[in-house]
Amino acid sequence: MPDSDIVLAGKNLNKCYVDKGKKLQALKDVSFFLKKGEILGIVGESGSGKSTLLRHISCLEKPDSGTLLYKGTEYTGKPPAFAGTFLQMIFQDAQMSFDPRMKMKKAVVEASNGCSREKLSHILEAVGLDEGLLEKKAGNMSGGQCQRMSIARALCSDARILLCDEVTSALDVTTQAQVVALIRQLQENEGLSIIFVSHDLALVSMLCDRIMVMKNGECVEEGETSKVLGNPQHEYTKELLDNLIE
Amino acid sequence: MNHKRKKINRIKVILSASVAVLLVLIALFASVIAPNDPYETCASAIRTAPSAEFLFGTDNLGRCVFSRVLYGARTTIAATFILVAISFILGSFIGVLSGYYGGILDEITMRIADIMLAFPQMVVAIAVAGILGGGLTSAMIALGITMWTGFARLARSHTFAIKNCPYVQAARLAGKSGSAIMMAHILPNIIAPLLTNALTQIGTTMIGISGLSFLGLGVVPPTAEWGSMINESRAYIQIAPWAVLYPAIATIVTIIVFNYLGDCVMEYRDED
Amino acid sequence: MDTILKINNLSAGYGEECVISDISFDVEAGKKVCIVGESGSGKTTLLKAIHGFGGVTKISGSIEIGKDVLLGVVPQNPGGSFNPIRTYKAQICEALKSNNIDFKIEEVEKTLQILGLSDARRALSSRPYELSGGMNQRMAIATTMLLEPGILLCDEVTSALDVKTAGMVVEQLLEINRLRNTTILMVTHHLGIASKMADFIGIMKSGRMLEYGPAKEILNNPQNEYTRNLLKAVPKLKVS
Repeated sequence: MPDSDIVLAGKNLNKCYVDKGKKLQALKDVSFFLKKGEILGIVGESGSGKSTLLRHISCLEKPDSGTLLYKGTEYTGKPPAFAGTFLQMIFQDAQMSFDPRMKMKKAVVEASNGCSREKLSHILEAVGLDEGLLEKKAGNMSGGQCQRMSIARALCSDARILLCDEVTSALDVTTQAQVVALIRQLQENEGLSIIFVSHDLALVSMLCDRIMVMKNGECVEEGETSKVLGNPQHEYTKELLDNLIE
Repeated sequence: MNHKRKKINRIKVILSASVAVLLVLIALFASVIAPNDPYETCASAIRTAPSAEFLFGTDNLGRCVFSRVLYGARTTIAATFILVAISFILGSFIGVLSGYYGGILDEITMRIADIMLAFPQMVVAIAVAGILGGGLTSAMIALGITMWTGFARLARSHTFAIKNCPYVQAARLAGKSGSAIMMAHILPNIIAPLLTNALTQIGTTMIGISGLSFLGLGVVPPTAEWGSMINESRAYIQIAPWAVLYPAIATIVTIIVFNYLGDCVMEYRDED
Repeated sequence: MDTILKINNLSAGYGEECVISDISFDVEAGKKVCIVGESGSGKTTLLKAIHGFGGVTKISGSIEIGKDVLLGVVPQNPGGSFNPIRTYKAQICEALKSNNIDFKIEEVEKTLQILGLSDARRALSSRPYELSGGMNQRMAIATTMLLEPGILLCDEVTSALDVKTAGMVVEQLLEINRLRNTTILMVTHHLGIASKMADFIGIMKSGRMLEYGPAKEILNNPQNEYTRNLLKAVPKLKVS
């Protein structure tokens, strides 16, 4: 595969938290890459380090060692504002993704460095939201609406990479299906590259081109979704598949 | 049921707030309401009992106690408000900064706060006021030196809870600077509990200022101030009890009103 | 088959506000029933109306529970139902004593073993804060099971757990049903769990029971439009 296709990559990322004298290795030598226009799924249980990885990719935290590359250029240790120019994050807690005191309009426009009126309404149409919602605050919107709005906010910036952190796990199944369909549509129509973190193996199998399985801060298996799930090599992946409730 | 309680709480807040506002108005318009000059001594009317001319009687120098209580309100309430406001602004500022940035800054400010908290406020205040010498300003500094820590701690813990919220992280990714995030996202969301705390501090601060004045470390005579009035008149309490009684009542009532207001507001906020 | 729980035209809610209305269904003894619904559908309110805790008031209709049938309730978050710093042994013994149940500690250990806690003795001597969410959930189920309830009422018992642990807890609930013939009434938003364990499934939406019937029929041949949408929305593992 030509390297020019890779928009985002991380090499040998390590992170160790120290809490009251106890050491916790949150990331152990994790490497990954994301190709242009693909959806990379990261699965793992709670505490596997998948959310920590996203926080590192977006520069919200600094790794102890390892490098992060955007289109081949290193950006390790840069401020989050720098990472924000090419990637945006969508969080699990949709409601708390917005300042509870702020109207949507302000919150969305603030994040986008002056996004034009036409662009905004185009984006709202793309995520399937009514413009009237811009006058509302997060507390008066449903979880699904908030999550769509936070996707809209991410799209308002010029970022071409979305990092989705368990974006659907707090949503109802039917709402989840809608949000997932939206994410897929964004990938297909807008050519966005997406990292999709989830604990739901079935969901990831439906959505993602490639998949990475994490356990205790390590990447135990990585590859094309059909290969990893069809013929799992690692014990842990097998275990996850066995315990899947459909 | 909950709805009903909320309604009762709201009425409580409104009532206590209006009494508090009334007290503040009295303090503000002391010069209009006061029937006599609080500093004018009258040799012919020393220690006269309360009458139509002198509502609360006169003190040892023949000064009108009623007028002095009114003017004292101005001194005490104004000093308290200024002190609480300064500690509130300074403490919240330091607290938000150390909560948001953490690290060494946080470590240093919180250790200082810990040291301040280790001593009873009044003990530190007496010591500091003693070193600085008398006067209202030094009394305020003496009290403020420990008071900001309470605000700082509260602001810090609230900031701590909020700074990891997705919306703050989203703002960071959107390229907002730290100060912009603190002003736009953190402060507006924590200001309510901080203000409530400031309200509950008013009563204690009032006790502090009156207390220091009573000990002779605050307001310098002849300025009218409740604490120093009580101190001046306590020598002849058996002959002219009114000269002690009325400033004492004024102190107690004011403290109760502001404490009650603080409690009511706190309760009202907790209901949400 | 005996009907152990019979609900007739039940309407209930909080105070005067009606949250669930006109709900009717029967549960036969020894069966596993899952009530599936999304958030706000009233499924937890229904459960609360049945066990009577949680401030739900009955507005009309009736709930008939079989004679001498004890209800066991397993909450969603077991952390809140144990004292975090007392040992399980002390807490479980206390619960049993206050219910005037004669018991031997061996029996307690046996129940725990059914629930997959092989080292039961160690689990008993540990404290809730030392154990993981899954372990705590199993201890909660075990404690409830020691009272030998006729019906086990479970409120989203797996939703706070990891996929792997959730699978195990479901297995163990099935094991309890098999060994003790305990009727299980489980409330969940997870259709997968319902299809794995339920004999009967009820689908709830906006406080109403849209469909109730044998699991196979509901899953394979849903009559209601909403149920069809719900089934369609569930992600399925795609391995091609």
